[in-house]
Amino acid sequence: MGKSGFYPKLAVSNIRKNSRFYLPYLLTCVATVAMFYIMSFIASNPGLQDMQGAGTISAMMGFGTVVIGIFATIILFYTNSFLIKRRKKELGLYNILGMGKRHIAKVLFFETVYVTVISLAGGLLGGILFSKLVFMLLLRLVDFKVTLGFNISLQAIQMTLVLFCAIFLLILLFNLFQIKLSKPIELLYGGNHGEREPKTKWPLVVIGILTLGGGYFLALYIKSPIAAIGMFFIAVILVIIGTYCLFTAGSIAWLKMLRRNKKYYYQPRHFSAVSGMLYRMKQNAAGLASICILCTMVLVMVSTSVCMYIGVEDALNLIYPRNVQIYLYECQDQAYQQMSTIVKEEVAKSGLDAYDMVSFQYYQEEDDWNRSLFIGNKMAEALTGEIPGDNGQDYPPNAYLGFNLPGSDGAPSQLLDAIRTRLTTELAGQYDTYESETRSLMAGNIYSAYGGFLFLGMFLGLLFLLATVLIIYYKQISEGYDDKQRFEIMKKVGMSRAETKATVRSQILTVFFLPLIVAVIHIAFAFKIITKLLAVLSLTDISLFISCTGVTILVFAIIYCLVYMFTAKVYYRIVS
Amino acid sequence: MTLLEVKNIKKIYSTRFGGNKVQALTNVSFSVEQGEYIAIMGESGSGKTTLLNILASLDKPTSGEVVLSGKSIMTISEQQISAFRRDNLGFVFQDFNLLDNFSIEDNIYLPLVLAGKNYDDMKQRLQPIVQQLGICDILNKFPYEVSGGQKQRTAVARALITKPQLVLADEPTGALDSHASDGLLRLFDEINAAGQTILLVTHSVKAASHAQRVLFLRDGEVFHQIYKASQTQEQMYQKISDTLTVIATGGEHHG
Repeated sequence: MGKSGFYPKLAVSNIRKNSRFYLPYLLTCVATVAMFYIMSFIASNPGLQDMQGAGTISAMMGFGTVVIGIFATIILFYTNSFLIKRRKKELGLYNILGMGKRHIAKVLFFETVYVTVISLAGGLLGGILFSKLVFMLLLRLVDFKVTLGFNISLQAIQMTLVLFCAIFLLILLFNLFQIKLSKPIELLYGGNHGEREPKTKWPLVVIGILTLGGGYFLALYIKSPIAAIGMFFIAVILVIIGTYCLFTAGSIAWLKMLRRNKKYYYQPRHFSAVSGMLYRMKQNAAGLASICILCTMVLVMVSTSVCMYIGVEDALNLIYPRNVQIYLYECQDQAYQQMSTIVKEEVAKSGLDAYDMVSFQYYQEEDDWNRSLFIGNKMAEALTGEIPGDNGQDYPPNAYLGFNLPGSDGAPSQLLDAIRTRLTTELAGQYDTYESETRSLMAGNIYSAYGGFLFLGMFLGLLFLLATVLIIYYKQISEGYDDKQRFEIMKKVGMSRAETKATVRSQILTVFFLPLIVAVIHIAFAFKIITKLLAVLSLTDISLFISCTGVTILVFAIIYCLVYMFTAKVYYRIVS
Repeated sequence: MTLLEVKNIKKIYSTRFGGNKVQALTNVSFSVEQGEYIAIMGESGSGKTTLLNILASLDKPTSGEVVLSGKSIMTISEQQISAFRRDNLGFVFQDFNLLDNFSIEDNIYLPLVLAGKNYDDMKQRLQPIVQQLGICDILNKFPYEVSGGQKQRTAVARALITKPQLVLADEPTGALDSHASDGLLRLFDEINAAGQTILLVTHSVKAASHAQRVLFLRDGEVFHQIYKASQTQEQMYQKISDTLTVIATGGEHHG
């Protein structure tokens, strides 16, 4: 084997030796590739086009593909920056031992090639294997039955290959740029140059408090659900800014306050935990804030989509209290009287057995944003015998007529046609517009929209969860290496194993659960605005949303605890 | 009164499957009197670090015994060993081993905090020590903001604040310039004069010449020892140099 085989070999052994860092990175790569493939497979699946509400679903999946693509780029860059930071010393050593930067670039090139090949091969394989399963899950969720063969989407494969090759190429360029910029001595000490104690940045703390407070205020005091849609995004952005500011500056201010409290600070457990966190906060803060935002996103997305999916039946009943609904807008009293007679005659003619027929007149009020929901409420009033009030308008009220038919297939189109013909001819000029709707027709659309939403929520939730776990893992590991020496010194000065463990635990616990706790607080404040948004989608069952959120938080917390236990173990193994 | 007694210490390092065995200490015995200032010298690989680790209860000997004020430190349980180390031993290391995340003051408090002392008590103990060491005005600074000499004096303060029975110093002048070294050695003389027992492990002839007694370690054994008695420091320096020359050129054992 000549000289040509040296760099590829070195690259392989580098990946092996750094497996503690490389393995999670590779797994992430494989997972994101697989998820991206699956999503684009579904988005481009021809079977989707036959579905009811196919337009909505494929728009959703297209959106999902874009989100996954963007997110994959961010995650992979983030993990890579961890890797390269950790490995600077090793690369610096090569440089000092006489490898030129050109040679290091070669090694990095081969490493990237291997990573690319492994992740694309593994990811596509996994993606293809799971794509059918996931697609079937989606079909089940949107309540659509179709028989599918096992197929592979070449278009999805192509998209995946292009995207991820581009990402890996960018990562390689970024790494090469890093190496090019640095001097060997910096590479050698790249991992650990003396960090200064961070200063308290009061302006940031104030900005953080103001933006977070503003976001919370918006979320709490929004009145109209229509305004809620626009305001929600403003509130989200404010809360994100506030979270970042408070995690970076607020945490330091808080820890410094703890340190000033001598009684609290000078205790074996708090002493090194507080100062350790303070010392590390500069690097930690952004990561913790990101974890917090991700947690919040996962929780909101999963809980709302689950809630929507479960509540879809209720929503349908609310929007369509009757199977068949007919509206005559601005209809004269006389026409309203005839309307029910005509409909009853036509139904009788068709030989169907209509029941629960209800009709009433009503005025649409200006701020009744959701007509269907409004009808639901009016219906309740009409059924309890309340007469819709005449509120002094100078135009006639709208007329509503609804009835149920046996079976769930809705009204045959002949019946509807017949009704429409008679109403439009016989009552011509006595009303403004005619409209009719059948529940079964709309139900398909709603089911597929909500099912698609749930699917997207779960899928993206899974991706965000992966990102969260990854950030936590890398943060703990690299901190473990930094803290190793600290704990060594403390051991010499007289810290026992038990005390080391207790300190480690208190430090990791805080770092770990602070983002989760803040995320739960965010959700508590967002609760009101989210219920408003759900109301726009005709979901008014607040207790259902509460239980969905509760269960989601619980499940998430359990997963989070498992990750905690695992990383704490790895961390402890590193420091002791 | 004998403070520390080291009896027939032997240490063999072996690889995990017992393949390669390296004998670091063959048979070391000596004792340290209360208030004594003793230096242990030897070349790299003579077993100095192993000996120090065993004395510091960071490592256990393969056989033999270490007795500190009548108590064998081998019999102390794993749970109590840290507390024992904290209460009875003070450490000064070559690379200072200060923690970057603590201020100078907090670095000095570290062993007391670990021992669960309250703040007022710690503050009271701190004052006389930092005055003696001349580091009063850097207490609020951080290790990366002060000089090597100041760092080492901080480390000494940390070692002394627990009022240990024995101060173990491992190459304390190793990372200091000559000026700072002289200052530190004078400080050790003062502390010793005040009654503190010091055990110094060093390469430096100058550092060793400050001690009342110098032990020479070679190939895991005490090869020779010399007493200062009434000699001046210069005479002691000369004598140590001569001994080292003899050891280096392969003289016979005459302990």
